[in-house]
Amino acid sequence: MLKDLFYYIIYPGFLFVAVSGGILAWFDRKITAWLQFRKGPPFLQPFYDFFKLLLVKETILPAKGSKITFLLAPVFSLTGALLAGLLILLPVLNIKSGFSGDIIVIFYLLTIPSLTYIIGALASGNPLAAVGASREMKLIVSYELTFLLIIAAIILKANMSIKLNEILLVQEDSPFIGSISGVLLFIVAVFTVQAKLGLVPFDMAEAETEITHGFFIEYSGTPYAFIKLAKYSMLFILPVFLCSLFLGGLQFNGLNILWSVLKLLGIVLLLTLIRNTNPRVRIDQAMRFFFVWMNLLVIIAIVLILFGL
Amino acid sequence: MEENFMHINLINPVVYTCMLPLIAGILFFLIPEKLKITKGIIAVMLSGISLYFAFVLYSAASLHEQYSVLPAGITYFNVAASSLLLCNIDPLARLVSLFICFFSFLITIYYTAFTAKENSISHFYSYMLFTLGASVITVLTGNLLVFVFFWGFLGITLYKLINAHDEISSAAAKKTLILVGASDGLMILGIAILWKISGSFDFTRAGIPTTNGLSITAFFCLLVGSFTKAGAFPFHTWIPDYTESAPAPASAYLPASLDKLLGIYFLARIFNDLFEVSSWIRLVVLILGTSTIIIAVMMALVQHNYKRLLGYHAVSQVGYMVTGIALGSVLGIVGGLFHMVNHALYKSGLFLVAGSIKKASGKDNLEQLGGLSKFMPVTFICALVFALSISGIPPLNGFASKWLIYQGIIEFGTGTGIANQLWILWLALAVIGSALTLASFIKFISGIFLGRQKTSLKEIKEVNWLMWLPQIILAVACIGFGVMASNRVIPQIFTPVTGEILYSGLWNSSAISLLIIISILLGIAIYFTLTLKKFRTEDSFIGGETFRDQAGFETTEFYDTIKNSSFFSIFYKAAEKKWFDIYELSKNSVLKISHFFSAAHNGILSNLAFWVLAGLIIMFIFLLM
Repeated sequence: MLKDLFYYIIYPGFLFVAVSGGILAWFDRKITAWLQFRKGPPFLQPFYDFFKLLLVKETILPAKGSKITFLLAPVFSLTGALLAGLLILLPVLNIKSGFSGDIIVIFYLLTIPSLTYIIGALASGNPLAAVGASREMKLIVSYELTFLLIIAAIILKANMSIKLNEILLVQEDSPFIGSISGVLLFIVAVFTVQAKLGLVPFDMAEAETEITHGFFIEYSGTPYAFIKLAKYSMLFILPVFLCSLFLGGLQFNGLNILWSVLKLLGIVLLLTLIRNTNPRVRIDQAMRFFFVWMNLLVIIAIVLILFGL
Repeated sequence: MEENFMHINLINPVVYTCMLPLIAGILFFLIPEKLKITKGIIAVMLSGISLYFAFVLYSAASLHEQYSVLPAGITYFNVAASSLLLCNIDPLARLVSLFICFFSFLITIYYTAFTAKENSISHFYSYMLFTLGASVITVLTGNLLVFVFFWGFLGITLYKLINAHDEISSAAAKKTLILVGASDGLMILGIAILWKISGSFDFTRAGIPTTNGLSITAFFCLLVGSFTKAGAFPFHTWIPDYTESAPAPASAYLPASLDKLLGIYFLARIFNDLFEVSSWIRLVVLILGTSTIIIAVMMALVQHNYKRLLGYHAVSQVGYMVTGIALGSVLGIVGGLFHMVNHALYKSGLFLVAGSIKKASGKDNLEQLGGLSKFMPVTFICALVFALSISGIPPLNGFASKWLIYQGIIEFGTGTGIANQLWILWLALAVIGSALTLASFIKFISGIFLGRQKTSLKEIKEVNWLMWLPQIILAVACIGFGVMASNRVIPQIFTPVTGEILYSGLWNSSAISLLIIISILLGIAIYFTLTLKKFRTEDSFIGGETFRDQAGFETTEFYDTIKNSSFFSIFYKAAEKKWFDIYELSKNSVLKISHFFSAAHNGILSNLAFWVLAGLIIMFIFLLM
């Protein structure tokens, strides 16, 4: 029991995920700065941000909203992100523990952060937050089908197994990205992760320039610190998930550490480059993008898998 | 002697659970409506007694599956009559009857406080008790004739409970009666064919293969009955109309819980006991099941009336149960049955919430409400639990059963038939249905409870404790069934019904739930130590503008992008014209045909005489042949 709590709170749970997520957030910001010919923030900037919000900043609550729901939503979002992270990282790091969840459970847990942002935003009673929430919900509906189809394709590739450790075992010799269908699926998965993280071109729910941070508009102080932490965690968890679905997972022993870190940074670099070279799309364009084009690509990939490619 | 003893012990609960409510229901007609409170208390007590006996029946450990209600040794005057009294008390029947009594008990408690001048249903308690007794008999009987008799009886109580008081609700009541009645007619035909094939009305006569036209016809006739009762596509159209017009307790009682329990119970019987289902029939039923999920949830997405929205969800969720049972594997059947129970828990809870909202505010539409979470905290928390359950958010119960169904679909995909090969399609439709359910419940929750508090709703108060207590019990059941799903609920309640499950996935609900509780406690502790010292409240920031009434963003506008998109708008427009409503379609065609024949009725005597003569001649020719 104590060991399981250690897994959840220290490694590979909360602390590990939060620190790695913070580092990746710094990496993302640094690359962005370089692309824009700026110097970029110092290495510890994400952590400064977090602790400043948590400890120093004042919390402002919406007068006309549901305050308790507004405050609890970020806690749930962080919890959902961490649980998904735990269920992904335990099999990836090959740790046996009392917690278990298959790929469907992970799929569902990964929606909790977005869902709780929406509930928190609506609880604030701010119309701009409601606009953001409505957009995020529509975005969820659009990418959820694509994401599920990707997972179904992976299940098909992994001989109908839905346990993450078995999926990793199948990839031991040849990662799934080494086939045409794998490449197609990986491209779609990167876009889905982009939408799940709310990065440009799919950041219409936050849209700083348009609806001033959308569903986070009313958040400040401690609850916003939780949201920041949940966002950092997702920035780590989703690339790890991509790695374990397509790149054969991560190994943390010997020289493999370097290789694993490179894989992760590579995926985050890809996400950062996409977000820095694209304009924000409208919600209906995003829906069409996922419903028509991305689903089409996944279906092609599934057909290719059925033909053994 | 030993066997005789068991007999008596088990038979009495059966008699008490079914007959007590039926007899009391008749006697209740004699008590004047003015003694509403007395009637309510007696009805609550009676349903409580039924619940107790249902529990005795449920917990009685016995391997015997069939009993005669008559004590052993007494011969009845007629053999056929004693076969009518045959009971079929297997674990499935016990489980379903227990839940029937459970929901009756809770909803009766709720109704005692719900009654108001405009809401009261005349003789509610009588019809409630009739429904309870008839449902239990329907489930426990081992004879198809008794089954179809009481099944039809439930259609009448359904009709009476709608409380038709104006044109819309009368139309909804009529539609309900016609659709349910027509499906009962088809069921009688199906049972007749079944009797023709097997020579018996025995419920458990196993496995008629669906190979020839006769048995397939019988199968589909019975399927229509089960689909109409449970509300699966394309026979679902009475449910949204019903829930929109009927008082919320009636919706919570019949379409949300009891009709689902009965419909899916019968579906499970059709699939597992009565017929040996061939693979292409599975394909057809899977198509119907998954289209039920999608079509109904797409309609729910654009509703403004919250009771109608819930009605469409009462349809959509049936799709999961139908899909689960149609898969035919143990995993699928457990998933379907578990989802049936879960659905009854959260959907009746949601209708009770809707009833509370209606009673507290008097409003029907989402755009007239908003920000009620402050005034009705208990109702809000219950509603949130139900909404997250129905959307399948782990670790609540809706997720546990959907997870089983998804696993069932993936396991089904390892087979070789056409239906098996399409597993990705079934999975995709089920999951996207779940995402759309979440979307429409975001609308429901935020439209009623979250968002900006409306100035017109300042006077609202939390409802009477008799009304929120059943909601809390249901919410606790939703959480409990989800949290303890993998280590208690499924192995102890559902596998005795179906047999052991071979999981292909992993889900340790209790451990994960424990982590969630720890995290939330930690979060609250952090708030208490850090936030409570330094916070202030401010009105919303909307880019520096002053807030005006028209500045709000209504939750009903949330999904207009989907409604107005070029692809979906075609379907929504067609649905508004009722092109997919089997009731409207058949009504129109019947009217057209009768219009054609009405041309003959032009009132001229010689023409009428000619028709009579022509008819006689046709009959003569027919007889001579």
